Amino acid sequence: MLIAQDLVKLFPGVRALDGASLRIEPGSVHALLGENGAGKSTLIKILTGVYRPDGGTLSVGGVEVHLDSPQAASRAGVGVVHQERNLVPEFSIGENIVLQRLPAKGGLLDRAAIRAEAKRCLDLLDLDLDPDRRVRGLPVSQLQLIEVAKALSMDSSVLLLDEPTTASTPSEVERLFEVIRKLRDNGTAVLFVSHKLEEVYELCDTVTVLRDGVSVLESTPLADLAKQDLISAMVGRAHSAVDLPARPAVTAEPVLELSAVSTAAGHRDISLSLRPGEILGLYGLVGAGRSELAKAVLGLSAITAGELRVRGKAVNIKDVRDALRGHRIGYVPEDRKEEGLFLDQPVTKNIAVAVWDRLRTRIGGVSAKSERALAETYVERLGIRLSSTDKLVGELSGGNQQKVSLAKWLAAETEILIIDEPTVGIDVRTKAAFHELIWQLATDGLAVLLITSDLVEMVTLADRIVVMRDFHVCGEVVNDHEYEPTSHRVMGLIHQDAE
Amino acid sequence: MTLQVLRRSLADQRTGLVLLLVLLVVVFGSLIPTFFDDRFVVFPLLRDVATLTVVGLAQLAVLSIGHLNIAVGRMAAFGAMFMGLAYEQWHLPLYAGLVIGVAAGAAIGALTGLIITSSGVNSFVVTLAMDFALLGFVSLVYSELTTSAAFTTKPAGMQELRTFSLADVCVGPVCGTSAIPQLAIFAVLAMLAVGYLYSRARTGREMLMVGSNAVAAELSGIPVDRRIVGAHALSGGLAALAGFMLAVTSGSFTATIGSEFMLPSFLGPVLGGTLLTGGAVSIIGTFLGTSLTQVIRQGLTMLGASVQSLSISLGIILLAALSLDRVRQVISERKAVRR
Repeated sequence: MLIAQDLVKLFPGVRALDGASLRIEPGSVHALLGENGAGKSTLIKILTGVYRPDGGTLSVGGVEVHLDSPQAASRAGVGVVHQERNLVPEFSIGENIVLQRLPAKGGLLDRAAIRAEAKRCLDLLDLDLDPDRRVRGLPVSQLQLIEVAKALSMDSSVLLLDEPTTASTPSEVERLFEVIRKLRDNGTAVLFVSHKLEEVYELCDTVTVLRDGVSVLESTPLADLAKQDLISAMVGRAHSAVDLPARPAVTAEPVLELSAVSTAAGHRDISLSLRPGEILGLYGLVGAGRSELAKAVLGLSAITAGELRVRGKAVNIKDVRDALRGHRIGYVPEDRKEEGLFLDQPVTKNIAVAVWDRLRTRIGGVSAKSERALAETYVERLGIRLSSTDKLVGELSGGNQQKVSLAKWLAAETEILIIDEPTVGIDVRTKAAFHELIWQLATDGLAVLLITSDLVEMVTLADRIVVMRDFHVCGEVVNDHEYEPTSHRVMGLIHQDAE
Repeated sequence: MTLQVLRRSLADQRTGLVLLLVLLVVVFGSLIPTFFDDRFVVFPLLRDVATLTVVGLAQLAVLSIGHLNIAVGRMAAFGAMFMGLAYEQWHLPLYAGLVIGVAAGAAIGALTGLIITSSGVNSFVVTLAMDFALLGFVSLVYSELTTSAAFTTKPAGMQELRTFSLADVCVGPVCGTSAIPQLAIFAVLAMLAVGYLYSRARTGREMLMVGSNAVAAELSGIPVDRRIVGAHALSGGLAALAGFMLAVTSGSFTATIGSEFMLPSFLGPVLGGTLLTGGAVSIIGTFLGTSLTQVIRQGLTMLGASVQSLSISLGIILLAALSLDRVRQVISERKAVRR
């Protein structure tokens, strides 16, 4: 049995967990639900010893524990199957299963012991796999089951499964569920993290729902709850950072249209249109294919069917350069540190990098003076706080970094801007300023395609919301800027297959 | 804050190099009476510094995008081979041969870049393979086409380039010093051109951005593959120029030109503050770093050090420089994740 009581976890500027509690009983499957950013990952990381909580208590089997490393967690009997797979492809199945405590004899691996222990764990799961086979080349579903076996080898009394079904086919999921039920019947306490309500109803006995780091439903029997109740618990009430005035209705012809587009990335039959002066939201759970769709528009993955039209003309965009120069489309990526910015370069270069062509001196080189003037213009316009434009971007705060990432595309005079998760890891005040900024840019005529997993942000900003799931569009919602009805409609579209 | 201090000390690294250089020159000068001899010490020293500075720039070109060029010496041999061919077989004048050789070096560099971008294999591996391939190819050509494994035809002007100093350049009655070789003009021109490229030209600036963050560069509309090919072509062309300078110094074009280039090619840039991970280059630093190593080499030689102990000292200097580079990188990473 695992009991977490009033867990608190603070990050700079954010209370990731603010009183999260849950109680997993032996012989039951417990669901952990919550929107993106509700604190699920943080909670899992505390339960597995990756993070240390700033408050609250944890006990396993009635004993209070302090899990200050993943090793301590597995010693305490908490096993975990992570979202990303942690198997060593070149090792055998057996070696992977007992990896955390490989048996040795006189400094050499004891292969017989490895085989025996691995066999024991595989048998627990009724898995007929050869422990000596190498892991490389095995199908994904079997990798997942091997991870479960690995967690079992540590004699875990508690097993955490972090979104184990994201990349699996229905029959693989069914196989995994059989295994989970078997473990449950043997008395293991299982925590099942998933976005898919239908799976939760099929498998779980009790549920905890996190919202903004708080358990809004704690260890409640699922049988008493309707799907609508779960959705309400997840989305809650709005507490928008800013209240933005209504914007005039947009009537101009669309500048960006996708009709029945399929892509090499796996999208099927995507249709949407975006007008100048409009903010079109693209909502979906993590893994729904939104960023991938943005990258397909930029030519980074091929469009295999359907038509992409820019300003009414069917186009074939080759790459980001072509998107920018030929069509005035820009992309502010989700991961600003890895994809958006040059952290070890000054602010000037980060803002001007896409327009060096335009900043030429008479003899043809890039003019440092015009570059600085351009950077200063946008630093002022976006309210970027810094002592000098020569400062390295890596030295700025997250909010200012994100503004620099945005400034690059404004300086490039884009007319269509795809903004991907603009406020992740940004404190509440800066977030509000950012929302106003995006709102103002759209009001000034920019066509904005906004990708965000933050429903509040979506309802605050978007004019219309296109809802995606598993790389296709499952519906469109006109945003009336009323948080509750809109968010319910959006969540309803995402979970419509659950009934 | 400490950040500013750190950054200033990074910029100060070149000041440190200058101070170290001055100190060593004073020390060697007081220990060795003939250390400041124009014709027999300073002139050849500066000629070597000039050549190796160009070699350093050849490495710097690929370091700017975060790549390595292990074949820098062999590309010099490849370019020099075409120059030798041009003089001996095609009887071309000095500068025509130079242009052909540099173009050949740039072409082999571009090919290397193309292999890297199209295969996705690490630049270290590709240039290492290129090094072996060129070694075989160049040796083969020399052994097929020459009797003494060298092209020895000297076109008009080559001898003068080897021996002339600024003393042979007079404006009216005022002549230059006999300590500075005329060959150094190539190094100065190369430094000016490369300096302009990285500070002012869009292409060079984009190379630095590729070195800083290739993904962000791609997503900012920079043609990453073209910049990679360009940087390798530049590296090959500069290597060939260095090959030319070495051939002029030694008097003939042979297969072994450039075989001593690899270590100095890293010493100069890295001592001078060019990051191995890309995104930042220092042209003056490359010159200073090269000067420092050559002064140490010259001083120790004149003090009677053996070739072996020289190699040991230079190896240790490189190791120290690389550790410094790592320290700087750690500092800049820490800066990046501070907030």
